[in-house]
Amino acid sequence: MAPDLTVVTTAVAVPFVAAVLAPLLYRVLGERTGYAGAAVAAASFGLLATQVGSHGTVRSPWIPALEVGLQFTIDGWGLLFALLASGIGVLVFVYSARYMHGESGLARYYAALLAFMGSILGVALASDLVFIFVFWELTSLSSFVLIGHYTEDAESRYSARMAMVVTVGGGLCLLAGLLVLAVAARGALGGVTFDLAAMLANDEAMRASLRESGLFVPALALVVTAAAAKSAQVPLHFWLPNAMVAPTPVSAFLHSATMVKVGVYFLGRVRPLMMSPEWVLLVATLGLLTMTVGALLAVAATDTKELLAYSTASHLGLMVAGFGFDVVYGGEAGTFHLLNHALFKAPLFLVAGIVAHEAGTRNLDNLGGLWRELPITAAITGVAALSMAGIPPFNGFYSKELLFEATYEVAHEAGGLAWLYPGVATVASVFTVVYSVKFLAMFVGERRAPIADIHRPPLALVGPPAALATAAAVVSVAPQLAVDAIVQGAVEATATGKAHLEVGLPTHFSPPVGMSAVAIVGGLATYPFTERLAAGIGRGVDAPIPVRPSGWYDCAVSTATTTSARFGPLVHNGLLRTYVFWVAAAGSVLALAGFAATAGVPELDVVGVPLAVTVVLVVAVLAGLAVVTASSHVAGVLTLAILGFMIAIFFILASAPDLALTQLVVETLVLLLFLLVLQRLPSFYADVRPLVLARDAVLSILVGAMAFASVLLTTPGPDADPSSVAEYYTAQAVPGGGGSNVVNVVLVDFRAFDTLGELLVVTVAAIAILVLVTMRIRGEEAVTEGEEEPVSDGGDLP
Amino acid sequence: MRTTARVTVPIVLVLSISLFLQGHNLPGGGFIGGVLTTAALVLIYVAYDLDYLESGVLGQEVESGTSIFEHRTVLAYRRTLLLGLLVVFGSGVAGFLVGDPFLTQTYVHLEGVPIYHEVELASALVFDLGVFLVVVGSLLTIVSVVSAE
Repeated sequence: MAPDLTVVTTAVAVPFVAAVLAPLLYRVLGERTGYAGAAVAAASFGLLATQVGSHGTVRSPWIPALEVGLQFTIDGWGLLFALLASGIGVLVFVYSARYMHGESGLARYYAALLAFMGSILGVALASDLVFIFVFWELTSLSSFVLIGHYTEDAESRYSARMAMVVTVGGGLCLLAGLLVLAVAARGALGGVTFDLAAMLANDEAMRASLRESGLFVPALALVVTAAAAKSAQVPLHFWLPNAMVAPTPVSAFLHSATMVKVGVYFLGRVRPLMMSPEWVLLVATLGLLTMTVGALLAVAATDTKELLAYSTASHLGLMVAGFGFDVVYGGEAGTFHLLNHALFKAPLFLVAGIVAHEAGTRNLDNLGGLWRELPITAAITGVAALSMAGIPPFNGFYSKELLFEATYEVAHEAGGLAWLYPGVATVASVFTVVYSVKFLAMFVGERRAPIADIHRPPLALVGPPAALATAAAVVSVAPQLAVDAIVQGAVEATATGKAHLEVGLPTHFSPPVGMSAVAIVGGLATYPFTERLAAGIGRGVDAPIPVRPSGWYDCAVSTATTTSARFGPLVHNGLLRTYVFWVAAAGSVLALAGFAATAGVPELDVVGVPLAVTVVLVVAVLAGLAVVTASSHVAGVLTLAILGFMIAIFFILASAPDLALTQLVVETLVLLLFLLVLQRLPSFYADVRPLVLARDAVLSILVGAMAFASVLLTTPGPDADPSSVAEYYTAQAVPGGGGSNVVNVVLVDFRAFDTLGELLVVTVAAIAILVLVTMRIRGEEAVTEGEEEPVSDGGDLP
Repeated sequence: MRTTARVTVPIVLVLSISLFLQGHNLPGGGFIGGVLTTAALVLIYVAYDLDYLESGVLGQEVESGTSIFEHRTVLAYRRTLLLGLLVVFGSGVAGFLVGDPFLTQTYVHLEGVPIYHEVELASALVFDLGVFLVVVGSLLTIVSVVSAE
């Protein structure tokens, strides 16, 4: 069944339309806007649900010549992600309506949340690389707005900025990576294209093309960096715990279920395209490292949301590691865990929100025995936390078991150092069990700190996590049901070969089952020593800066701030001559660098220059030298005129009478203007400082060299045949334009549009000078009124 | 200086107009003609002053004391600039009326005209007139405003 373009486009567009209308909706509905948002999410969910089982690419062209157009690819992987996002979106909107009760800035909040959901759907379904990039950055942008929801709070602003810098920085890597892919497509698919579906269909050719141009490893590194920044992989994981300053529904939606999974999603998407030994080494190692570090930091966390944030990073590491392995189990682990993690982590965040709402604290050390007051919440947490720990028969167990099988198979085949993979995975899982039990412990046992009355949470708060926990329970009991419904399609889309996922409880002992047993038993045995463990981890984290990536981030940001504060006045000091210096120097250096990188040195035919031209040019050069050394202004102006007239003569000799005429007229006008201002110029400025002189000389030579090189390299030689355009103009001037002066006919007829543009430039110049003079007069008036305002001196004006 | 200006300015003006008119077939055109006209007017300005055009040539009273931006002559220059732009756009849009794309130019040969016998009228000349006006207007605006400093 082919997907329906209208349905898919509507599903993606509806949240954006709703986001634009959110302020209006808020004015009408007030705090019930959350339910309207839930309706929007449900609409997208329903539309996408009709597409389950379809497979294929639909596009609607916009600029066909440039291959620009809207293109969506529907397959199991994209649909799984999109359905998760919209489904959890429904619950989060319902939860928000109650949780955000009495908060300010709700119109902005809902607009950002809706825009975010639309962006996620866009990332999941688009298969045009440009669109993927745009939606990818839109998720970062809306996440920035949502993390910084409490705009008055400095910590909130700091965290929002940090998340923005890290994820958008990753997005820039993605842009570079996508451009590399598009360039490689030229060799593989016969033309630069941004069609990811076509690239995936021809993955062999794409890999060969990338390898051939030596761009495979750069492309891989760029894409993985982008995904790592988005999905909080070590060492870019530090923004995720900070992002927990956002309201809890945002944490549940963005920072557990959807946005942080965009990186994982994209890795799964390009996995068939980039699978190679380098991929395994980079991605699997990155994933397992994050899995371990995240689990360790989660054990040391004392705040409920912080614990869940590090745990999220750890589980994202699990998915990344799964996609990293070049075995069938790896892809299965990644896709299935994407679903399972969303089903248990989102309710856990919502539970953390309920606890914070009702008990008034998020400190795990003060929480205990809450099951008496919050029995339903405790039951939800029981299912979700045990699933997070990977205890059979809960759903988290199945996908973790798949990862164990993947690591074991890889290690078994490769041997040697590869045995580290299953080892590290098991150790990380031990800590996963520890922090899961630690989270669960706030509901069992005795009260640890006196807490005033705890209310029963309202249905709107308990309902969403209960729905998710029920879904998790269903997947736990009948995992094959979920697999057949949607996960199988996702596995096929991310697999490198054929894959058929079968899950169920293990019936006999195998090494991966042993790994699970070790993890669970080890975790339960380690739990009593949590405090000592946490203290040890805390000592490691508090070590000097090199261990803490957030320290590197702070250092980089503050260095950038101070450097730009120092750099600004250097370039932007209010003197026009400084601006001219930087613009001319930067432009010349860039142009020269471009020529040096791309063009060879053309041959110079010095001997063949006619005598008359040589004489004229020599006089011009002498006049140029004389201008510089002229003792008075009058002499300087006159020698400058000689230079100008020599160039006019050169134009005549080079048979360009129009140019010569223009040059003569302009030269005359300039001479007249000099006459006008000559008597006003001071006869003596100041002693020339050698340093300034040297700087000006270097700049002059630079600009001269740039002009020389440009003319030399861009104009055809005198012996070259006239181009087809030139021949056309020459032939058509009389019959087409009615004039025998080709230059003029080109100016006013063939290329009249260019002339129009030039006239506008002349007009803008006139206006700019008018403004400049006006502002100067105003500035002087301000100064004469006694204000100490620096005014540029007269030498700056043209 | 003033004597020289009295003699040369008319010649320069006539020359600039002839350059402008012959531009379609011989060296010349709107830009060159415009710059040359500007040169002639600047010559007047250097030899006399900004008000001379109004008081000496047109014989009108000049109100003094206004700032350079409201000066009548400068306003006239700015209007010239605006008029030039309008002419250019107008000549471009005119093509729409007969169904041609923007800025399409055409020409006709007129025969039997007294003295010249045969005259070619090109619509490009209107466009060139706009160029001429823009160049004159903008250059003179710049010159008069800056030199008033």
